[in-house]
Parts: sequence; structure tokens; C-alpha cells
Amino acid sequence: MRTIAIDRSAPPPPGEVHPFHFPHFVRRRLPSGVAAYAARLPGVPLASVDLLTAAGAQHDPAGREGLATLTAALLDEGAAGRNAMEIAGGIERLGGQLGTGADWDVGYVGILSLSRHLEAGLRLFSEVATAPTFPAAEVERLRRQRLTELLRRRHQPSAIADEQLAAAIYQDTVYAHSPLGTQASISSLGRDELVDFYRRRYRLPQAILVAVSDLDPEEVLARADAALAAFPAPAAGAAGDAAAVGGAASEQPVIRPAPLAGLRLYVVDRPGAAQTELRLGHASVPRAHPDFTTLFFLNTLLGGKFTSRINLNLRERHGYTYGASTRFAGRLGPGPFVVSAAVATEVTGAATAEVLSELRRIRDEPVTREEMEETRSYMLGVFPYTVQSIGDVSRRLADLAVHGLPDDYYDRYLRAIASLSRADVQEAAQRHLNPDGLAVVAVGPADPLRGQLAALGEVTVRSAEELGTAAGSV
Amino acid sequence: MTSSAIADLPFSRRTLANGLRVVLHPDDSLPLVAINLWYHVGSKNERPGRTGFAHLFEHMLFQGSAHLGTNDHFRYVQQVGGVANGSTWYDRTNYYETLPAHQLDLGLWLESDRMGFLLPAITAENLETQRQVVMNERRQRVENQPYGLAGERLRELLYPPDHPYHWPVIGYMDDIAAATLEEVRAFFSTYYAPNNAVLTLAGDFDPGTAMDRIDAWFGEIPAGPLLPGLPAVVGDPPPLPASESRRRALLEDDVRLPRIYMACRTPAFGHRLWYAADLLAVVLATGKSSRLYRDLVYERQIAQDVSAYVNPFEAIGDFMVVATVRPGIEPAVVEAALNDHLARAAAAPPGAEELAGARSRVLTDYWSALELLSNRADSFSQFTTFFDDPGLLAGETDRYRGIAAEELQELAAGFLGPEQRAIVTVVPKTSPAMVSIPLLPGEPLDVPEPPSPPDPPLS
Repeated sequence: MRTIAIDRSAPPPPGEVHPFHFPHFVRRRLPSGVAAYAARLPGVPLASVDLLTAAGAQHDPAGREGLATLTAALLDEGAAGRNAMEIAGGIERLGGQLGTGADWDVGYVGILSLSRHLEAGLRLFSEVATAPTFPAAEVERLRRQRLTELLRRRHQPSAIADEQLAAAIYQDTVYAHSPLGTQASISSLGRDELVDFYRRRYRLPQAILVAVSDLDPEEVLARADAALAAFPAPAAGAAGDAAAVGGAASEQPVIRPAPLAGLRLYVVDRPGAAQTELRLGHASVPRAHPDFTTLFFLNTLLGGKFTSRINLNLRERHGYTYGASTRFAGRLGPGPFVVSAAVATEVTGAATAEVLSELRRIRDEPVTREEMEETRSYMLGVFPYTVQSIGDVSRRLADLAVHGLPDDYYDRYLRAIASLSRADVQEAAQRHLNPDGLAVVAVGPADPLRGQLAALGEVTVRSAEELGTAAGSV
Repeated sequence: MTSSAIADLPFSRRTLANGLRVVLHPDDSLPLVAINLWYHVGSKNERPGRTGFAHLFEHMLFQGSAHLGTNDHFRYVQQVGGVANGSTWYDRTNYYETLPAHQLDLGLWLESDRMGFLLPAITAENLETQRQVVMNERRQRVENQPYGLAGERLRELLYPPDHPYHWPVIGYMDDIAAATLEEVRAFFSTYYAPNNAVLTLAGDFDPGTAMDRIDAWFGEIPAGPLLPGLPAVVGDPPPLPASESRRRALLEDDVRLPRIYMACRTPAFGHRLWYAADLLAVVLATGKSSRLYRDLVYERQIAQDVSAYVNPFEAIGDFMVVATVRPGIEPAVVEAALNDHLARAAAAPPGAEELAGARSRVLTDYWSALELLSNRADSFSQFTTFFDDPGLLAGETDRYRGIAAEELQELAAGFLGPEQRAIVTVVPKTSPAMVSIPLLPGEPLDVPEPPSPPDPPLS
């Protein structure tokens, strides 16, 4: 054992930097028409394949909220002559997981299994993606399940807060409603609408395939393509209405919420609640906006890490909360900027004032050199940590595809972070944070909350009890 | 066409003169190193009246030490691009960070400073701030969560009051309020010694060099005194009360859907029947084709969701079944269905195909977890802390393969019987009239998830 001198009085000097590269991936269009991304991660014997389509909830027509997510939920409830339990049993006998769903941007079908079971899993995956049958009984069953889920969310303080904030920010645009839909919309969606949405929006030539595993990527792509090609493409619905994921501006619905004038203050009353769920936010810009890398940086410094300004202020300086954070939700449309915290009810007004003051400060004064360098080194250093797993790499590749980002985007991203200046961050804050035009939502006991927020403006109080009973019958 | 790099999970180990056990797992696929410390102390080492203390103490370990200021720990880790946290559970407290590989020394400096030189930083001011943070954590995770108190009540029924699995890791509010500075100091001196800890490194480093560095940073910290033993009741509690009313509770909560929580004691983590319980949980409630999902959620539609799992505890495992009841259905109907399925599991072993599927699912989950260096390091620390054998981690796959279908039946028949169950039913506080008012529109959430375990480790 060699004796090594150590000095505990200061951080020890770093060693030599070990090189990092984003995992190599292949990208090409497969004979079935799918645009494919594939990478090999040699760590564990698992394989993941995802198919993404332009079938996100942003395409829900007004009054038909929940169409995209309900359509996606039906895909594995009957396909190519198999019923729901045959599909589930088929994948679960292999220990694998087959998932379908939709977020704001895309609809998806995904499979994760031990690599040795991938071949069998791909058969089921392809059936579900290309030949779903939408059995009427399953539509009704999932409708009832969804209505029950909506009921349950009426009693989740964090869900209530998120939904009230979205309603306040997005008014009459599609982002104002949950992708899960409303009692009214889910109750009225017909099977034919789901089938039509599927036909128009789940088409292989407009889809993206992302495959990550410990297997040879070319071999996985060949197998996936063969499996997908085994089924004829569904017949087109409306002629010429083929959908593209990302990129195609003509396909992107217009989502243009009016900016808020002044502060909009809402309290959702939960008498006797042990704590208050607090949200502040306003609409921001799409993920593909050229400022987005700077916004990631700004967000990290402001509320995106433990040592961010807002967490240190609310948690460590004041003890108001277990944790406070901020985010810019990167969507194809103008996603929100949101500040979130669950705070002790008696300090809700004080916590709101602290958040507003932090939003003003980061616009009014340049961040310190020290914060700038700390945030920069954090974001550069943490990047490899965020691409450890098959799921991590799949999500990164899907982001490239969905948002139309170039193949060398992650190298560019790291270079951009390395070169941002304090002025860049302040300018981004001035352009993209608006402490004088945002919504504040507090979900907790109205009595103390109303008074605490009144100093900031007129407070609208809604009753959680009344929301909770807004059930209709299920 | 498969070739998995980490399939055999190689490691080396050594014990320092002061008793610190060290495990090294090199893997250079990414320029990262995960550092993980398990201290063999958790809420199990608390006493009634001072519950929540181990967790409050964990928060104090992020408040600085002799050479580090109050927020320096996170600051130093984050400014090099590292990620750090800690968590407290019944049997242990862990502290961990994943750093760029060239910052290994930084992590060793931080961890050795709080293991060896914490006392000067234990101040009244730091304790008060963290007391407030923890009280807010309890409000956020427990009191303001739908069904949040059910897990707590369930454990109170499952174990007698003097058994440390009886109380929640986060502790009761009055107890959190009562913790004193002197107790914080005494707790540190008793439990935070190198001979009560395991240090694991996983990632991109040279094992020889790393061992030298560990020796330099940790070698001079003196071993602690002999640890106090646990009361005999911990490993051998009396059976649950015969009277059903003492095994059952009804809670009213601000929820719309009733929910049923059932818990049974099982053999401890590491026992063959614990693995049988883990496989049985998959057979019962993991995936749409599992027995409970298929019957209660899919076919009869009397439940909104269902889950089953067994906790990996050191003294006694516990097996939980949770089902959320659909509107308009009597909770008793769902409870009867759960009873039927547990009786069926006790009456006959699962079929070969069912068991094979469960084994494959457990393996898929095992490898998914081990993708992250931090999880790999944590698992090595776990097996070393509990069994003094890091090699058991790689042996997990064979252990699951070796469990016979009859052992699932043996577990269900011997440990999950009607008199062995604690049951909590959560019901809506009021039965509001059904009126038709438009619902609030809103922001996304994904597909409904099954209920999560009532007692995951606390950060």
C-alpha cells in the first residue's frame, strides 16, 4: 500500500478527464417506410424497441379531449386476431413489457424484454402497432376505467394544481385540457372516432422506430422491419392527410395562447389540507426554438438542481418546503414554464413572493460568475450520467426524431453550453420569463390562502369539493 | 448475437483496519464513478418517542462537516456535474453520488469528511432548518397524499408497538419536533463509524489506485464502539393478534375511490421463501395477464388497479397486496376476491408457464435496475451489509431460477393465511351527491399507474 498525502482543507484536484462521446447510432429509412434510429449498449441483456407516430394529444379536436390517449390505450386490447389477454399473456410469458400511450407530441408502442426474447416480442409489437382491432367491448371497458381515473385525480392535490395552472395559462387552446380528457369528452368519444384517428395518424411512412439493445443494431432493425412488413399498412382515412412527427410545419396544429396580463391568482379550496401545492407559470416556446439550450441553462441555475436559486431559497434558507423546482416543458408547441413546490400553508404568500422576487432578480441582474461556471460545469459533467440506460438513450434518440434535431445535436448542445455567457442567460431570462404576466395556483385551505395572496391581486377561489363532485355517473 | 458486458458483475473487496468494508466494481463503459455508502442503521434502531430520528439525522449529513460548510456538499458535487443523495429505510441509511470519473477524489473527500469529522457542523441552526424541511417532507409524502396514512396504519397493525417495523421511517410529527442536538451527536458517535459501514465504488477507475485513495481518505478514521444490540422482538415478534378487530382498521380520507391494503409477514430478505414471495407477487399482480389484474380489473371490473410486492427487509419481509375499488363496488367484494386468490395460491402451485413468465419478468427488472451504476453500487453495498458477501448480487439470477413452484405455494400456505393478515380499508370521507358540473381542464399525466408501495426509502 502506497502512502498518499491528502489535504482535507479544500476540494482535492481532479484527475485527468476521461473522454466521453454520445453513443454511436445508425439512422436510416427501412423498407417498410419507417425512419429508424438504432444504437447498441453492451451493458445488460435487454432490448427496447419503440414506434412513435404523429398521434399526440396536441391533435385532440376541441371537445374530443382524450382522443389520442384513448386511441393509444386501445392498441394492445385486440390486434390481428388476438384478444387483449392473448396479447398481454403473450408478452408476459416472456417476462417482457409491451406499452402503448400518447403524450402531447406523439403516440407510441414500445416493447422491453430480455434480448433473447426480442424476436417473439417483435411479432406482438408489430401486430399491436399495425393491426389493432378496437373491440367495442374493450372501448367501453377502457372508457369506464378512464372516467374512474379522472375521478381519482380530483383528489390528488398535485394533479389539481397542474390542471388549474394549465387551464389558466392556455385558456381556449388544446393545452388547456388534460391529455386524459374530461368526463364529458371521454363519455362521448365513439369507437369510430378512435379507429379514424388511428388510420390517419399511425402510418409507417410517417413513423419513427427507436431500437436500443445489446444486440447488433442492423440485425435488430432488419428483424423489426420484417415484423412490421408482415402486416399491410392500414388503409388511409382522409386522402392526403398523412401525418408526420415533428418537422412538418403544415402538420403542427396552431397553439397560440394569449399572454397573461398581470398576475392571475387562483386558490383551489381543500379545507383541512395538511399542506399547499403551489404552482406559478406561463406559456413559453416550443422545444425546437433556437433559445431552448439557453433556457435549459437558465432553468438549471434558477430551479433545475438542488443548489439552484429557488430551491436554496425556499428549502434551505427558509425551510418552507421539502423541495422547489422549475422547468420549461419541451413540446412541439409552446409548452409551459412552471415553478412547483409543496409548501407549508402558512407560508404560501411568503413563498410566492420569494419566487416572484427570484424571477425578477434573474432578469434584472446578471447571474454571478460563480453561478455561471457552477451551472456550466454541472451541465457538461452530468450529461454522461443522463445516457446510462437503454431507456435514457432511447429517449434521447426519440427527441432528435420528434423535434427534428440534427444527428450531431448532442455534440452541439455540449459545445453551446460550454460557450454561453452571462449576458446570454440574462437576455434569455428577459425574453422568456415574465413575472408580471403569470398564473399562480395554490391548492389548500382557502381561508388562510386567500388572505395571504390578496396582496398580489384579486384571488379567484374554486372549491375542491365542488370539483370533486363534478363526476357525472361512471 | 448477445454479449453483455457486465453479465458476471465482477468485483474485488477488502476490509480496512478500522473495519470499513470496501467493494470495487470496475466498468469503464462511461466516464463515471458511482460512490455508495451504506451505514447499517435505520429506523429499526430508533425507539418509541423518538421515531423519524435516523431520517432526520440523514438530512444533517448534508449540512456540512469539519471542512465543509452548510450547503457545500451538494454544491461541490453539482459543480462538477455529479448527482448526490441519501435515503433512509428500516434497516439502513445510504449516501451516494455519481461523479465524472476524474472526480473520484472529490467524492472520497466528501464522504470521509462526514464519516470522520461531522461533529463540529452539528449546530442548532442546521437542526432547526432540517426539522422544518422534514416536517414538510412528512406533509408532502404522507399527510397531504391521498391514501397517505394507510401504509403507516398498516405497519402499526402488522407489528406490535415495541417492534421497530411498527413505526414509519419518516417518524411521527411530535417525535420529529422532540429530537435534540445532544441526541443527534450521540447517534452519530454510536452508528456512523467505519466498522458499521460498507463503501462501494462502481464505474471507470483503476482498482489498485482506487484502493490506495480509499485507504488515504478513510484509513485514519477510528473504529467506533461496540454497537448496541436490537431487542429480541425484532427477529421474533409474537404472532398477530387472534382477534380480527385488532388486525383491521378503517380510515376515512379525502379520496373518491376506496382502497384495500393487506399485509403479511414473510421470511426475511435472503431466505428462499422471500424469493418465492417476490415471484408470487409477479404471478398475482404484475402485468395485465396476472391473476388479480385479469380477474378484478379486466374481467369483473371491480377494481381500478391492483399491486403486490414484498419488501426486502433484513429482519422480516412483508408482503403487501393493494387494490383500489371501483366506484359503486363494495370494498368487501374486492376484499373477498383478494381472499380467494390468496387461498388459491395456498392450495396449489402456479403452472410452469406462469412461473417461467414471472422469473423472466424478475430478470428483466433486475437487469433494468443494474443499468445504472448507482444502483449496481447500492446493490453491492446491500449484499455486503446484510450478508457480508457482494458476490450474492450476481447470484440473484440463479436464486430466482432455483425456486420451485411448490415453494410459492408453501409461502402462501404458511405466511399469507387469513389470520396472518393486517388489513386497512380507506374509504371516502363523505359521499358527495353526483351532480353534473364541468370538470377543470388541465395538464397531462400519463397512463394510470398502479398504487406505489406505501413505504419506499425516504430521501
